[in-house]
Amino acid sequence: MSVGRKGLAASALVAALLVVTGVVAGTARTGSAAGGGSGILRLGTTNYIDSLNPFNYIESQSSNAMIMVYPQLVAYGYGAEGYHIVGDWATSWKTSDGGKVWTFKLRSGTKWSDGQPMTADDAAWTINTIVKFANGPTAVAAPSVAHATHASAPSPTTVVIRYARPVGNVLAQLEQLFILPRHVWEKLAANGGKELKTYHPELHLPMVTGGAYTVKQYEKKGTTAFIRDPNYWGSASHADAVALTYYTNGDSMIADLKGGKLDWVDQVPFEAINVVKRTKGLVIDNLPGFETTNITWNSNPRKPKNRELLDPRVKKALSMCVNRDQIISVVFSGYATKVETLLGDVALYVNPHLGPLRNDCAAANKMLDKLGYRRGSGGIRMAPATQGKNAQPAHPMAYDVITPTSTDFNVNREFQIVKEGFAKAGVKVTQKVGGDSTASYALETGSKCDAAKSVGYTGYDIAMWDWVGYIDPDFMLSVVTKGQWCSWSDTGWDSPAYDKLYAQQGLTVDPDKRKAIVWKMQQMIYDNFLYTQLVEERLIDAHSSKWTGIQSALNGYSKQYYTSPRKT
Amino acid sequence: MTRLDFVAKRIAFALVTVFVAITLNFVLFRSLSGDAVSALRCRQCTAQFKAYERKQLGLDKSKWEQYWLYLGDLAHGNLGSSLRTEKRVTTELWDPIKNTLPMIALGTVFAIVLGTMVGVVSAWRRGTAADKAGLWSGLCFYAMPPQWLGLLMVLFVAGALGLPTSGIKDPTLGILSEPSTWTVFVDRLRHMVLPALTIGLVLYGEYALIVRSAMLETLGEDYVLTARAKGLSSWAVVWRHGLRNAMLPVITLVALSLGFIIGGFITIEYVFSYPGIGLAVVEAIDQRDYPILQGAFLLLTLSVILFNLIADLLYFKLDPRVTS
Repeated sequence: MSVGRKGLAASALVAALLVVTGVVAGTARTGSAAGGGSGILRLGTTNYIDSLNPFNYIESQSSNAMIMVYPQLVAYGYGAEGYHIVGDWATSWKTSDGGKVWTFKLRSGTKWSDGQPMTADDAAWTINTIVKFANGPTAVAAPSVAHATHASAPSPTTVVIRYARPVGNVLAQLEQLFILPRHVWEKLAANGGKELKTYHPELHLPMVTGGAYTVKQYEKKGTTAFIRDPNYWGSASHADAVALTYYTNGDSMIADLKGGKLDWVDQVPFEAINVVKRTKGLVIDNLPGFETTNITWNSNPRKPKNRELLDPRVKKALSMCVNRDQIISVVFSGYATKVETLLGDVALYVNPHLGPLRNDCAAANKMLDKLGYRRGSGGIRMAPATQGKNAQPAHPMAYDVITPTSTDFNVNREFQIVKEGFAKAGVKVTQKVGGDSTASYALETGSKCDAAKSVGYTGYDIAMWDWVGYIDPDFMLSVVTKGQWCSWSDTGWDSPAYDKLYAQQGLTVDPDKRKAIVWKMQQMIYDNFLYTQLVEERLIDAHSSKWTGIQSALNGYSKQYYTSPRKT
Repeated sequence: MTRLDFVAKRIAFALVTVFVAITLNFVLFRSLSGDAVSALRCRQCTAQFKAYERKQLGLDKSKWEQYWLYLGDLAHGNLGSSLRTEKRVTTELWDPIKNTLPMIALGTVFAIVLGTMVGVVSAWRRGTAADKAGLWSGLCFYAMPPQWLGLLMVLFVAGALGLPTSGIKDPTLGILSEPSTWTVFVDRLRHMVLPALTIGLVLYGEYALIVRSAMLETLGEDYVLTARAKGLSSWAVVWRHGLRNAMLPVITLVALSLGFIIGGFITIEYVFSYPGIGLAVVEAIDQRDYPILQGAFLLLTLSVILFNLIADLLYFKLDPRVTS
């Protein structure tokens, strides 16, 4: 080898060594506390922010992010009594005209991040725009102002919202309303408002914000950085910035938490909880959660096959053979509780008189025997032949169970426990992996689902899935209405009596009267066994002991979720 | 067959393959259950709203109409717009491609260098401990599922070496202060190490085994015996005479595998939360974003065909026997 080649090789080697040294030594430094705050709070999550446009988002993490950067009239607080509505931008409110008019007083002297005044006119414009395009570009935000007809701003600190009729959960609805800067968004409302939906403010930084933070950096599948906004009118963030980092899988996220590269993760995977508990320097928070798992029964009264599964007594008997304690210990490592209501136990107006569903397979088998489902060869029960409309021949009680691949828990293991339980009742089930949410839902509804023509929900019998509920019960109550066929309904249930009650509770202002209706609706869902509620997951998050003041219960409900944490 | 004939035939075949692939891509994704509108679930998603959305996105047209429109757009170099963001497909895919390419390149270079060295030493020292080590390590890594190897890296290697397990940059970089170019460069490299190493180890096994096999065959040739008889050093025999001829199948293998890995090792990007083309495809599948899927798979198809063509042309150039 010539001298020239040797020199080149030596130079290349030195350069490589320099790079390797830099790589191994690392460059990661937590940002300095430039503003005298606690530095950067590094939060890990397996849910990403898909958009900061309130008219075009799907992910729940987007809703959480928008809470941080936009003003809301009201938000949720959490205390000993549970969740309750508190003012965010609004300081007070009152109703008049029998509940059809709501007047909100707003803080004065508030500004957007670009220095423009933030006034009631922005709130009124946002509401009126949503109402105007509710069946088009603003449909996603429309439920936050359901039944609203018009909003006005008689003064810079007063916004008045008029409703077509008294609405029972105005404040809960408005908690999901994000006020936008009119001077930025108004031009997008021209020409049918199409651009309202296609505009992505997170891609045009710096975006104009009016919350506790501004957005310094946005990466959909990376890190989004929220910087403390010095103009914020509420309790200032202790952290100078919050860096929310997305992970595709919990293993990497927990590895980074344990390695000190994260300060906080918003949901610890159930199989990792005990490992995290044993790690020095990490603190686990264990709170009631909002997610419930269930067996979903196709309850379409027009389903052509396996109509024995429309009988609540059959569904109840099969459910009594499912060992929910085993699900809690095996699937959720003990971090779940049994639940009876579709709303979840954290919601408002939970009916305490439902069930409880006993795990008593002996009694279940007696029920099935009495109903005439005799065991055939191989121990599988036979559904007898029926006559009349929707007649079906005798057939074994063997069904497919659709399971999606998109759950955040081990649905395969949960299915195995259900399968064992059903087998004890003489019913055979086979897992049918449905694919992602879209594919699984399409299997439930069918490809030509049409609510107006009552077409759909004829191709499946049983599914296993989960729901993430809300504090106000309105949404969860809606998912079994006919109006949500082909949208949120997975049971295909069709009950005019129930739908009437649903409409009624939405317009009942008196809390006690509304509660009575909501209790009755939960009883109807339970008595008809639209779902077998299995368990309610606990909300388990973990953080470094170097941080304190973390209010995990406010995840998705309040700006304080990010503003409260501070370094010890 | 003249050189021109050979090249022309290969290019024509490549074009036909591209057209067939475009059609298959179009059909394949529309066979998935659901579409971009059914992927939306919202309380206001009434039949009227969904009809409005389908019209906006062109999904109300017949499949044939959508297909002809797609071909027409392609002919003008337009890959369409994302159904989700309405941004151009090329814009949406550009960042993921920029993230994937250097990571793939680093891993592939590592695999080629290590695989070649190990394969040569294994063949040269056949039957010895070095050969056994090379053979078994090659087989082990070749058999390992990439995502499992990636998880082992996350769980056992990342912490030990202080390397990050996810993303392409440190979450705190540039938030409160502006980093230097060197800091940014090193940070990017640190985030590439583990995924590139995982890819490199997965490919290394295949390359090592192929090189070993090709070298064994070559070292058994008469001209190699002649070279030894002439008194050439082992180094000269192995590297100058043996490896040069043994590299022919390796070049083909590398070119062919490059075409596939351009698509981004989806499983590895998933394990390391690496925002490359693989993760972009996964997200597009979730959202039934047909234009993104069609664009990404067209890219994959073109890269496979291109590298296949390059492999053919390289082989043609390196081995004169091909023309006879």
